[in-house]
Amino acid sequence: MTKRLPWNRENRWRWIDTLLAAIVVIGALLYVYELMVGSRGLQVDYIAANYGQYLRAVTVNLYMTTVAFVVGMTVGFFLGWLRTIRSVPVKKVIRDYTALADASSRSPFVRSGMLALTVAWTGVKYLVRRIGDAYVEIIRGTPLFVQILFAWSILVVNFPGLFTNPSSVAFTAGLVALTANTAGYQAEIFRAGLQTVHSGQVEAARALGFSRLGAMRHVILPQALRLIVPPLTNEYIGLFKASTLVFILGVQTEITFVANKNAFAGHVFEIFAIVTGIFLLITVVLAKVVQALESRFRIPGLGIQQTRSERHRARPAEVP
Amino acid sequence: MIRVEGIHKYFGTLHVLRGISLDVEKGEAVVVIGPSGSGKSTLLRCINLLVEPDEGRVFLEGTQVNRADIRREWVRQQVGMVFQSFNLFTHLTALQNVMLGLTQVKGISKDVAATKARQLLARVGLAAKEHAYPAQLSGGQQQRVAIARALAMDPKAMLFDEPTSALDPEYIREVLDVMTALAREGMTMIVVTHEMGFASSVASRILFMDTGMIIEEGTPDKIFHHPEHERTRSFVDKILR
Repeated sequence: MTKRLPWNRENRWRWIDTLLAAIVVIGALLYVYELMVGSRGLQVDYIAANYGQYLRAVTVNLYMTTVAFVVGMTVGFFLGWLRTIRSVPVKKVIRDYTALADASSRSPFVRSGMLALTVAWTGVKYLVRRIGDAYVEIIRGTPLFVQILFAWSILVVNFPGLFTNPSSVAFTAGLVALTANTAGYQAEIFRAGLQTVHSGQVEAARALGFSRLGAMRHVILPQALRLIVPPLTNEYIGLFKASTLVFILGVQTEITFVANKNAFAGHVFEIFAIVTGIFLLITVVLAKVVQALESRFRIPGLGIQQTRSERHRARPAEVP
Repeated sequence: MIRVEGIHKYFGTLHVLRGISLDVEKGEAVVVIGPSGSGKSTLLRCINLLVEPDEGRVFLEGTQVNRADIRREWVRQQVGMVFQSFNLFTHLTALQNVMLGLTQVKGISKDVAATKARQLLARVGLAAKEHAYPAQLSGGQQQRVAIARALAMDPKAMLFDEPTSALDPEYIREVLDVMTALAREGMTMIVVTHEMGFASSVASRILFMDTGMIIEEGTPDKIFHHPEHERTRSFVDKILR
């Protein structure tokens, strides 16, 4: 529980601020309620009778979001890692390789072959990186709505024989669009996370004899993942809400129910109450779970937010 | 043990190392001093190939190691390194920091690695802190864990890059004591430091570097009290006062 603030000169205005804000919010809610429900009264039994089908519909959203999120995370990680790599001028690659190769006792034929391979590999890396850059910019720069329609039209036009019924094509198109979208955003989250880990950490790992991949797996990723949990949660919640957009393709999701319901005109407030309630329930529970995970995996002594037990202890904390 | 022949390093247009040659015998402790930007750190990083020299050759026990066909990971396992800013892995406890290289690079089983790591922590006087995270340790303690971490790989030589420069004065002693003990046990060491007491008592040789070159080298007595070069004299005057 938060400590009660004393009623003194400094805090008086904070109390009044809070009060005013509460009045505005409650007033607004009451106004909407009055407008939509008015004198007929809130029909609780309508909500009780109908929330089940909305709940079933929302599982489609959850399923799509989760699959897209996990696949997008894999793609996003590699894409983000790729985008952290510095590009090296070809001249320098050639010079470095020549300097090293002169010392090894290989035949000149093998050496020039190896040089060609090294240069080619650098070229491939550069190209893939540029494609990654373009991909992220395109995903960020266009509306998800357009991406969904685009994925759908690609599937319908280019793979007409692949799907037998229209609802499976719609589902697949929605899934593809959401995955592609979140991959682009998660690539940026991963890039930021990887770049925030101090370069000294990588240097120390390399000095111990870790390979690039080993340093990534055992040193950088464990630290970067802790940093990017909040933005990843944000991304999941955003994606979950955005997944309702696939209703335009005819996938049965919550929004479709809202849009198609015969009784829509009669029970606007009830329907919105159900939908809002379900969404809030899921996102708030998720946020709480992630928060618990975060404090579970927090590195002791690091950062400004201390754990409860630490708060009253002097730092550096004494460890038995 | 460690031999460096005419290495050059450029960072862009900056010529950081200008033909450095150096020969360190087994069991020798060499101290490198010099103003900031003189290339001391880069020299150390060229020896364990964290930085690739642009020209010249680096030898480890008679084998040239800056060749295309030698694995850099292998080279770095042979030479331990301690950094100015400790660089302990922040997400791991002291014990895990020492163990990580053993289990993940050398492939040693967890039990054996833990036993060895505990011995090393005891050796640097931190047996009681094995479950502490780096952020819960003082600078001196962190640096001692970092030394234990480097020693865990059984290196043939150790490189120290200003190991006490980031420490509060009261913690410098404990780190230097560990390093002195290490030198007495016969570890081959190259130490970049401005701790004159340590240099005079431990170093077999002192190198003075400036503008990417070794200006002068000799015994501690010679460098500190009878330097030949004007640059050495003015630098030594500055740090001794």
